[in-house]
Amino acid sequence: MEEFHYRIAWRATSAHPGHHRSQTEGGGFEFHGHASLMTGADPRHIDIRASLSNPFGDYQVRQFYQTSIVPVHVIADLSASMGLGHKPELLSRLTTAIAYSAYRTGDPFGFVGIADRHTPSILWPLRRHRGAALTLARQLNGYPFQGRGLDQPLSLTAWLGKRRSLAFLLSDFHFPLSRLQALLQQLRPHDVVPLVLWLSQEWRPPARWGWLPLHDPETGTRRTMWFHPGTEKSLRLAFDRRRRQLTELCRRYGRRPFFVVDGFRPEALSRYFLESCV
Amino acid sequence: MTNLGLTHPLWLLAWPLTLVFLLHPGRKGVPYPAMEWLPMDALGRKIDRLRRWLAWAFLSCLILALAGPFLKEQKVARLGTGAHIVLTIDRSSSMNEDFSGYLSGNAKDSKSAAARKLLLRFVEQRRQDLFAMVAFSTAPVHILPLTQDRAAVRAAVEAIDRRGRGVTNIAPGLLMALEEFRDHPVTGARVILLVSDGGTHIDQDTQERIRQRFRDVGARLYWIYLRNPRSISVLHPPKRNLSETTTPEYFLHRYFQTLGVPYRVFEADDPESLAAAIATVDRLENRPLRYFETIPRRDLSAHLYGLGLILGLPLLLWNALEIRQWFEPKR
Repeated sequence: MEEFHYRIAWRATSAHPGHHRSQTEGGGFEFHGHASLMTGADPRHIDIRASLSNPFGDYQVRQFYQTSIVPVHVIADLSASMGLGHKPELLSRLTTAIAYSAYRTGDPFGFVGIADRHTPSILWPLRRHRGAALTLARQLNGYPFQGRGLDQPLSLTAWLGKRRSLAFLLSDFHFPLSRLQALLQQLRPHDVVPLVLWLSQEWRPPARWGWLPLHDPETGTRRTMWFHPGTEKSLRLAFDRRRRQLTELCRRYGRRPFFVVDGFRPEALSRYFLESCV
Repeated sequence: MTNLGLTHPLWLLAWPLTLVFLLHPGRKGVPYPAMEWLPMDALGRKIDRLRRWLAWAFLSCLILALAGPFLKEQKVARLGTGAHIVLTIDRSSSMNEDFSGYLSGNAKDSKSAAARKLLLRFVEQRRQDLFAMVAFSTAPVHILPLTQDRAAVRAAVEAIDRRGRGVTNIAPGLLMALEEFRDHPVTGARVILLVSDGGTHIDQDTQERIRQRFRDVGARLYWIYLRNPRSISVLHPPKRNLSETTTPEYFLHRYFQTLGVPYRVFEADDPESLAAAIATVDRLENRPLRYFETIPRRDLSAHLYGLGLILGLPLLLWNALEIRQWFEPKR
């Protein structure tokens, strides 16, 4: 089972001891400040130098931040387009990795899968699930992907809780940017990590010459596409432009997206977190 | 458009099916989610539209071709200046006998074969005339009405050297030949070209009837006399032994002279007689004749099949270029 390391650039609010920096005082190693012994602070942490230099003569006690847990959510797009090629496999691998990593880090994990309804089609409320990784993988592998997924008016906040969480947004983002912006706006209280699942087949034509009727499984739009030797280049350009647009938009809401094309390497995701949360 | 007809018009009921190609969006095809923001290619849409119309035209062609369109037989007004000639051919058994004349020096051909050669030449040289044909032996046989159809006339003439049978019975043949003119306006000289090898006795009653009919119709009579060596020449008859039983042709000749219409006899053993016959017909006064030539109906479905082929070949190419799958599930 794949595992990666994630970290956050903000302080967790939870009082539960965990792995992440927190704003709660407690038995951590991160120095917070001094307090008077009279306030009921831990006498084991009496700071002699600070006490001597204190003009009021109080005993000064060092105070520390504790490390806390962070809720980890996966918001997965289970729309029809995610059933394309080996995207389901990729989705299930990623979800498994996140669930397992959350379990190993000691964080509670929740899963919200949006398919053809406004409410989650697969919902795992926030818990410390031990076997989540395995069960969820099995559940996703046999899932009939359908509907428009995230490309519909949604109210996700109710399923995520009011505490700030690390929310992985798994989708191929094949919906209008305005919809994505609305979604990100709605998820502002949370730390959203957009994970973009693409297949390189999507911009690699199946033939040099030929034509192929296409339909959008979500909107039903039909189009006949003509392939010629220049098609691959224009498709690649279109996807590059899309990549830039997504990056630019997501960056405005906190994080740049992490692109998963064809395959997923956990180290790359660890690296992503190392780079983004120094 | 009224010239067009259909052999099986019921096939047209299938025509609305062709609209399916225009209206139906076609195979749903491969799911491709990124359509929302992909650049449109206008050319592809144009080609697709062209393909639909091509398919429609192709199917329409096929259905029309199945319906079997044809150009109806048409009557084309022609201006003819020819004479109306009824070939009246003797098909009696005596025509099977050898003929000795200039046409075949060794006298191997039968008389009817000689008559065929002769008439073929005649018909060849008189291209603007209208011909009819009547054959007679014991009883007359109507073969061809007055027509300008060269092929039909040639075919009729070429068939006269088949074996003849029966006796020579000229009177009914002549009467039937005269009947040919009945429904035709008198716009050209009317000629009855009698090709015969002998005569028979015609009784007095019939003689009168024939004479009367000739006068009514106003036809000329030209007799091409096919003589065998033992027969007499009607032009230069011997001075003796003339009788109704031994030399009936001479008496027939005499009778024809009394018809009161222009009459000439040509003896076919004379090399010049055919030329003389043709020249004689040439000299006849002919007014221009407006007549209608019938062109047979023409089947047009072959053209439509051809057009369908031309329209269908690009579709074949299209079909070859069609891709069936894009994303294969990798498992």
